[in-house]
Amino acid sequence: MRKKSQFRGLVFVTSTVVILVLVGGVAWWSCAKAGSPSGKKDESSRQWAIVSVELPASDENFPPGAGANIATSQCLICHSAGMVLRQPPLTKEEWRAEIMKMRTAYGAPIPDDQVDRLSEYLKGINGRQ
Amino acid sequence: MQRSRLVPLQQSRRHFLAGVGGLGLTGLLGASAWSGTEDSPVVFPFVNGGRNLVKTFPQKGAMVLQRTRPPLLETPFEVFDQGIFTPNDRFYVRWHLANIPTVVDPATFRLKIRGHVRQTISFTLDDLVRKFKPIEIAAVNQCSGNSRGFFTPRVAGGQWANGAMGNALWRGVSLKALLDRAGVKTGALQVRFNGLDTGILPQTPDFMKSLDVDHSLDGEVMVAYAMNGKPLPLLNGYPLRLVVPGWYATYWVKMLDDIEVLEKPDDNFWMSRAYLIPDTPLADVVPGQQGVKMIPINRMPPRSFFTNVQDGARFEVGEKRLVRGIAFGGDAGLAKVLFSADGGSRWQEARLGPDHGRYSFRQWNVDFRLSSADPQKLMVKAFNTAGASQPDRANWNGSGFMRNVIESISVRSV
Repeated sequence: MRKKSQFRGLVFVTSTVVILVLVGGVAWWSCAKAGSPSGKKDESSRQWAIVSVELPASDENFPPGAGANIATSQCLICHSAGMVLRQPPLTKEEWRAEIMKMRTAYGAPIPDDQVDRLSEYLKGINGRQ
Repeated sequence: MQRSRLVPLQQSRRHFLAGVGGLGLTGLLGASAWSGTEDSPVVFPFVNGGRNLVKTFPQKGAMVLQRTRPPLLETPFEVFDQGIFTPNDRFYVRWHLANIPTVVDPATFRLKIRGHVRQTISFTLDDLVRKFKPIEIAAVNQCSGNSRGFFTPRVAGGQWANGAMGNALWRGVSLKALLDRAGVKTGALQVRFNGLDTGILPQTPDFMKSLDVDHSLDGEVMVAYAMNGKPLPLLNGYPLRLVVPGWYATYWVKMLDDIEVLEKPDDNFWMSRAYLIPDTPLADVVPGQQGVKMIPINRMPPRSFFTNVQDGARFEVGEKRLVRGIAFGGDAGLAKVLFSADGGSRWQEARLGPDHGRYSFRQWNVDFRLSSADPQKLMVKAFNTAGASQPDRANWNGSGFMRNVIESISVRSV
């Protein structure tokens, strides 16, 4: 019911910023006194700008190996691979706990019969005994 | 008197760079562990600490990439040596959920106040700017998990070094003024804040945070529409962000568009199951400790950092050097900063730079001379006006929250 639903489905593509200043020409912010974070401004001249940006896509992939397909199809639904690849080395049980947290807390649709293979894979790419 | 020794903020970067040229880069910065260049990755001093510096995010300069989607971007630490206000384009970024609006249209944006109030109100951005008296406050925004990568034993989560924090001059409307306009009804307990971001999966809990009513009405909690005199970068919450001075950033809801006054305690996931800390001093427990009462994370303790010298730096024996850094008091003003050049046996009070208010970073500095060819351990420790300080031993908990151990670095002769 909230208007945020209109933003669903926007595609995240590679880099670049587009700031569209469509409201009355110059954004009021540009009148702000340069160099001073506390510059006093003429409130009545303020106008707001439409801001439109593009967020970069991740160029990181899960390394090949048994279970990589599960990681790719499941983990990447909600976050890029870097979150996994930059963790400290975790034991298989610690990885399993992370997977279960993703399932129970955030609703990740990882089937029961994939949890063990995914834990083993994650330990294999970034694990410890 | 001694303040003349402090580097003026506006000039600090030029001054700093000029100084580097004259003194030799290695003397000041040593091997660049936390200050990688665009060409060389950052390497944080913990296992799996390699990171890239990227300039690919909108409205952002070079940032340490922790995660692309949803973005986790860390402020390169040398930025903190360039002034106590963190530039908007270097300010760290932390999102939980990947459906982040990439277009915000002020013509249709509304901030709604609803729930246990006399009247539901909806404000345009112009309403906030024109109809309310603006307030300004300098305040540190610090991620609950700042410095998580240094936890020993390690814990899962965003593996930040010390750059998941920033200080800005926030300008906006006090939350009290907005709530007064709506009229908080008797019996209200908490106020819940929601932003435009949502999860990819419908079953992922929407990110919402709550504060007690009394806290919400303290006149300091703010709905900010400006950051360092400019609109907020989209990734820092354009167009509106809650500012909760002295409290961890998890409460500083970005792209704030919905404020709901509650009659009962908020039991949503992000208050009742996430961002919980052990109810112990500095949230400190022994690894593996069970049965500890857990509470929502809240106020920040003091911290202090070296910004112009890092671990492994080399100095000429006997040469006078200015050692400086930043400190903040957390939920109370900074009272003093102590410096030790001998591993904590003797402490001296550091000079403090201009005071921008109790919630701001403040610069500190001391004169230092390496006394011999032996390595020396430098330490810095902040105290706040409520009497809180930093522990000698690192506090630890399973979520990697609230680290504020005394910072130590080792320096030696060239």
